Order: sequence, then C-alpha cells, then structure tokens
Amino acid sequence: MELAEWDLVRKCQNGDLGAFEELSAKYYRRVFMAVLGVLNHRDDAMDVAQEAFYRAFKSIKRFEGGSSFYTWLYRIAMNLAIDFQRRRKRNGTELTENFDDAMFAQGEMGSDPYREVRDRELGGRLRAAIDGLTPDHKAVIVLRAIEGLSYKDIGRIVGCSEGTVMSRLHYARKKLQEKLGSDL
Amino acid sequence: MMESCANIQEHLGAWLDGELAPVVGERVELHLKQCPLCLGEKGRIERINSTLKNTLAAEAANIPFAPFWAGVHARIVEERSWQVRVVDWFRLTLTPPRLAWAIPAVILLLLGVLSLERFVPGLGFGQTNLASVESIDGHGMNVALLRESQTKTTIIWLFEDHEAETESTPEPASADPAF
Repeated sequence: MELAEWDLVRKCQNGDLGAFEELSAKYYRRVFMAVLGVLNHRDDAMDVAQEAFYRAFKSIKRFEGGSSFYTWLYRIAMNLAIDFQRRRKRNGTELTENFDDAMFAQGEMGSDPYREVRDRELGGRLRAAIDGLTPDHKAVIVLRAIEGLSYKDIGRIVGCSEGTVMSRLHYARKKLQEKLGSDL
Repeated sequence: MMESCANIQEHLGAWLDGELAPVVGERVELHLKQCPLCLGEKGRIERINSTLKNTLAAEAANIPFAPFWAGVHARIVEERSWQVRVVDWFRLTLTPPRLAWAIPAVILLLLGVLSLERFVPGLGFGQTNLASVESIDGHGMNVALLRESQTKTTIIWLFEDHEAETESTPEPASADPAF
C-alpha cells in the first residue's frame, strides 16, 4: 500500500472523517462499478456501495494493512452485493434496468458511431447475460474485467482459492459466450 | 503434434489474465499462431472483458461524488452514539492551543463556585460535619441538644449537685422540663 494511502487509513482509524472522505473519493466509482456488475440495478448498487463504505469506516480500526486497502474494501462491497443479490432472488424481487437506454442517454457519439452503437447494444446484452449467472460467478468476472485483479486478490475478496477463481471464471466466460453467441 | 483446441481453450482465459505458468503459456501461444478457431475464441474473451468494463465505466462516470458521499456520511452520523459524538467533539474542540486557556478557565470557574458559599450562605458547598450544642435549659435539670448531623441528635441531661439542690429546695423539681 502506498504511504499516502496508509497515512489516510491511519487517520481514519483515529476517527478522522475527512481522511475517509478522501479515500472514498478515490475508490467510490470502482466500488460502484463492481457492485453494479453484480446487481445490475443502479439504485440498488448505489445503496449497497454506500453501505459498503459506511461499514468500512465502522470497521477500519480492524484493518491491519495485511492486504491493500482497496482489496479489503472490495471484499466488504462484494460480500454485501452477493448477499443482497441472494436475498433479492429468495424474495423473488429480481430487478434489472434497461442499460441500453441508460447508455444511449449519455449521448455524444465518438469517431465511429456505428461501432459505438454496436458496442452499446452488446453491452446491454452482456449485462443481461451476466444477470443469469450466480452471484459468485458474477463477482469473479466483474472483478477481473473492471479491475484486472489477480486471481489471488479476487480469491481474497470473494473468499475462495485461486483455483476456484480460475474455474469460476472459465465457467462464467463459457456461459456468456453461449448466451451471446454470434453477437461477440 | 498440435495440442487439442479443447485443451487450449480450457487455459485460454487464464493465459489472457496472465495467470498461467510460463511453460503452459508458451504452449498456448504456439497453438494460437496456428489455430484460427482458438484465435477467435481469444478475441471473444477479450471482447467480453472490454465490453463489460466499458459498460460499467460508462455507468459509473455518471455518479458524482457529492451525493454519494452524502449518503455515506448520513449513515455514519446517524449510527454514531452520543458518547462517540461527545468524544469527537472533545477531540476537535480541545486542541492544544484551546487547552492553554481552557484549563485555567475551568480552575477559575471551580474556585468561583466554591467561594459562592461566602456570599450566599446555605448553598451547601461549605458544610462541615462539626457538632453543635443548640440549647441549654434550666428548671433544675439542664438539657443540652447535641446535633452531630441532620439525623442524629443526642439529648444530654446535665445535673449539678442534685442532692444539695433537693435539701435547700423543698419543692420537687418539675416533671416536665421545658425544651
């Protein structure tokens, strides 16, 4: 962990809310992305990501620096997201949003509009396909795709071995390829 | 002999993630140079990764920090107990420069309160446990009331040469000493 970050963590451990705000500003987007990848619902993802930061602040005194801060933070966030998703499934309140529309609403086409439209459509279908995976499979594929985390780090975050991460990733990718077929 | 595509595709994802042992990685690389089928598979995995990352990043880019932090902050403040808030208040308020005047101020305040008894008797700050004698009465039998505290009173009968008094005074002493 870099020195400045460790310094901020130490300040947080002494109850410095300003230092925690700095850490939150650094990581909130990445945590939100990871949680959104699992939940596929913007409002729920926002709620769970905020809860993750709140819990991180509450338990930061127990963080000893054995891993990097973001690995530790991701672990809290992903556990919350996985639990949330399981609860939602049990209660039968499966929610998804039309991310195609959300992405189109961002407007502004780049240099290759045709490719962008195609990518957005593929993004929407990919998200729908990911929604069909189990929370554990979603977590590994999202963490790998958005962060490029090592299998070791992913294993620490989701609480399994590197071998399990490898096999879950392999399975998840196979499933996605089957669902997306010729779209890829 | 070329390795089977199924075997290579089993390792393709891990190879792309840089998680394969170098020996196995070399075998995958060699196979990809000769096999368009597996090369296509590699492209599909890469497409999944990049599309997912771009989709989520586009979503996250729309989230400003201020409302996000407001939600986190509200949870933290709501949960904190009054004890924690008091400790926090002291930590923030009693900085060394402030302590420099706060400690003498507190001492002065305490001295002021303790000296109030002098100006406003009965406040109770200066009460002691000294005993006091409240009354001594006559009629041949003197009585003293010794008050040691608010609940303990001792009645002391004081006799002065009772026999001589009886001889010189024919009348008997009153049975009801007045208090």
